[in-house]
Amino acid sequence: MINSNILVVDNCKVDVENAKKAFSILGLKDTLYFAENDLEAWDKLQGNQKISPIPKILLIDINQEGIKGIDLLLKIRKHEDLKSILIFVITGTDNEKNKSDALNLNIAGYLHKPIQSDKSFDFFSILYNYWNIIEYSSEKK
Amino acid sequence: MIQKLVNILLVEDDEVDVMNVKRAFSKNNIKNDLFVAGNGVEALEMLRGGIVPLPRIIILDINMPKMNGIEFLKEMREDENLKNISVFVMTTSNEDSDKINAYNLNVAGYILKPLSFEKFIASVATLKDFWSLCEM
Amino acid sequence: MIEPEKRCQEELTALKKEFEEFVYIVSHDIKTPMRAIVNIATWIEDDLGPDVNKDILDNFNLLKNRVGRLENMMNALLELSRVNRTKMELFEVSIPKLVNDCIEMLGDTINVEFHLTYNLLDKKCITLGKKLEKVIYSLLHNAIQFHDKVQKNVFVEVIENETDYEFVISDDGPGIPEEVKDKIFSIFYTANSKDVVDSTGAGLAICDKIIKMVGGKIQYAPGLNCGSIFKFNWPKTITVNN
Repeated sequence: MINSNILVVDNCKVDVENAKKAFSILGLKDTLYFAENDLEAWDKLQGNQKISPIPKILLIDINQEGIKGIDLLLKIRKHEDLKSILIFVITGTDNEKNKSDALNLNIAGYLHKPIQSDKSFDFFSILYNYWNIIEYSSEKK
Repeated sequence: MIQKLVNILLVEDDEVDVMNVKRAFSKNNIKNDLFVAGNGVEALEMLRGGIVPLPRIIILDINMPKMNGIEFLKEMREDENLKNISVFVMTTSNEDSDKINAYNLNVAGYILKPLSFEKFIASVATLKDFWSLCEM
Repeated sequence: MIEPEKRCQEELTALKKEFEEFVYIVSHDIKTPMRAIVNIATWIEDDLGPDVNKDILDNFNLLKNRVGRLENMMNALLELSRVNRTKMELFEVSIPKLVNDCIEMLGDTINVEFHLTYNLLDKKCITLGKKLEKVIYSLLHNAIQFHDKVQKNVFVEVIENETDYEFVISDDGPGIPEEVKDKIFSIFYTANSKDVVDSTGAGLAICDKIIKMVGGKIQYAPGLNCGSIFKFNWPKTITVNN
């Protein structure tokens, strides 16, 4: 069962609201954290606003203006305490270069945002079901 | 969007577990091509020899003879041509050390094989839904 | 270090390693054929189609149930062997909250009335929270699972002493027959046939091991009229030596 913190990195208000709404119906809101860009995300992973315990799941829109997504993923993969985070790229736009860079950084999935918001609940519940069938390592001391 | 059906390489040494995956796939109407390797060495040979066409994902057991799942993952992640393949661990090992090693090598998921076949069918159904969202 | 002592240390290290490997084999290598039995049974059942003799179906269910039991026993063995190695975090717990959490985890308790009494100076303490939770949960679970009446009463009393907490968990169920009361803390022992109440018989063995590990003691006593009383003490300061 998923029982860990989740960090969402996105600056599109509508998308963030859709995610919040879906996750609250799914019963996840207590463990959700949000960041608007890579700097804020890093602050929450390793900086002043560090989330404890470290999130095991990160959702990120790498193609959104103002988010240096690939830079953030690189930093995460190079960091001893963060490198094992499961990263799901969720994006609304296409960018082949970003996609192949992200896949090379071993993201857990490259997913397209649902276009209609009424599809967004189905989308997030599939993701949520997936998180519930997989195992996680226990907390590091 | 027309997406090519992704090819699945199952790395698993137990015959019954291979049959189990095949059955669960057919129950869930999963039509992807399934390739089977009995251990890590065989899997690397198949991947490097072009036997499993792109795009591809891997379902990986941990405990296997010759080269186990973790050793296989290490070698795969160091190979420029193979390092970006998505890997899903499917094992009976509930050892924390195996989970830590697997996630450090960035697997996309670590699934425990349940005792009952019905539960396994349900897990595979969830996996299928998830794969349907993913782009390779 | 003097010579014999050094040898002892080496032997101990070797034994520990052997034990770890043994546990790993139990957890993985035996599970694989065990799962195969269940899976193949399910396939055969499936392949037989809908028009099957009821006896055959019943026997399939028996087969799967028994392998399920085997798995539970295997998991219990693993849990027992790992009592002092997993979930060893010390953290602050509120004792009444911990008891309530355990009650919540029990699931369906419509016919159960809980009577909770606390005599605590400070509700909070820093302890091996997951271990204490496991003990309380197991005792509550037993009190309900082995109860023989529709309406069940379960009593929890916690008293704070100078150096420890005293927990008393009791019920108005059937109690435990005098002649078997010494065996209940042994692994896989069940007072009833496992066909009457499908239980692994590992809960009390695990509780006993946890309580000994923290330096406490658990005892069973028969209730005044009927029922069981389990009493254990849980030290305030826990020194863990592995």
